[in-house]
Amino acid sequence: MRRHTRRVYNLCYRFTGNAASSEDLSQEVFLRIYRTLPSYRPEQGAFPTWLTSVTRNLLVDHYRRTRRDRLTDSIEDAMPQLEEKHSPARTPDRLAQASELSAQLQRGLARLSPELREAVILRDLQGLDYAEVQKVLQVPEGTVKSRINRGRIELARVLEEMGLRPA
Amino acid sequence: MDWNCTLTEERLSDYLEGSLLPGEAAAFSAHASGCVQCTQLVAQVKMLVSRMQQAPPVEEPRHLAGRILDATLGPREREHSGSGMFAWLPSIWQPRFAMGLVTVAASILIIFHASATAGGKTALNPVNMFRAANRQVHLAYAHGAKFVNGLRVVYEIQSRLTSQPETMSEPISEPARAPNAEPRPGQPAQPPASEQRQKSQSIPHSGRRHTHGASELAALSIISREDLTNGAIRSIL
Repeated sequence: MRRHTRRVYNLCYRFTGNAASSEDLSQEVFLRIYRTLPSYRPEQGAFPTWLTSVTRNLLVDHYRRTRRDRLTDSIEDAMPQLEEKHSPARTPDRLAQASELSAQLQRGLARLSPELREAVILRDLQGLDYAEVQKVLQVPEGTVKSRINRGRIELARVLEEMGLRPA
Repeated sequence: MDWNCTLTEERLSDYLEGSLLPGEAAAFSAHASGCVQCTQLVAQVKMLVSRMQQAPPVEEPRHLAGRILDATLGPREREHSGSGMFAWLPSIWQPRFAMGLVTVAASILIIFHASATAGGKTALNPVNMFRAANRQVHLAYAHGAKFVNGLRVVYEIQSRLTSQPETMSEPISEPARAPNAEPRPGQPAQPPASEQRQKSQSIPHSGRRHTHGASELAALSIISREDLTNGAIRSIL
């Protein structure tokens, strides 16, 4: 249970960059899993992959729902550091737990497009292989590879622009 | 193979993951080593991928799992509903602890009641409680000592009464033997015991008299023993 919770929460947090939204989304994911569990077929894929697919679909829904808010609230995109510092859910303890690299990555990920962001998160932060990412994203393998590659390069450039080097 | 910067970008992940064909990998390396921008990009992405794959997961909030269980399975009986110093409270209501607590409370109540029947509020004073308990102990000791002494008297009386009929039967048989006790002239003063036994068998009257006297004494001794025993027990009780 804790392993799955952590997996879902991490995916949500890496994608949204917001702890409170990630909690709500994680709960929503498990509610959906609980309701649709009878429809799960093990032969269609492993349970973690199915869990990730459900999470990803909810994240896409969430992204679409909150698109208007993000467009109007441009300061959040322009200054992600402020969001990190002033978010009420980010207590000092949680900030202390998050490593500097994790914070840098989070700021860089927030600058990527959702398609590239989710591809990079699934591959490099969640550890899925290409076939699993393909199942989750429901796109051809070539598209998966392309998105992951472009996402990595763009993230490296974004971090470079922000003056943050992963090294 | 004619390799350029665009190809390097497009196949960068393949190169890093070792999925390029040998010819492609050689062309990639040859171009990247000669192009400053590509060299820098390859190094940056390689480092980024390595650090991302080694990044520790973000710690989820502690209450998240409970919140999810509440949302899916409904509100549960929380094992740790209290926090800090009151976290142990729910365990008291388990049947075994509740039964133990009730038993202890009843015992304490009985002890207080027994020690504080005459005292009122002052009986709850620890000093008075100690005195009352001390008095109870001494009383119990005195009762015990009295009981043991009484038992000793009863056993002493019983032992004397059991030994008394044997000693009493001998002087009582003496008068029955008395008429024949005086030796006739020419006869030995004390015939042997076997002869006396034969004589006693040949003289039935004297034997009947002896038996009658012994049974009376035995009855008296039984009566007196019972009386004494009953009296002693009554005195003990």
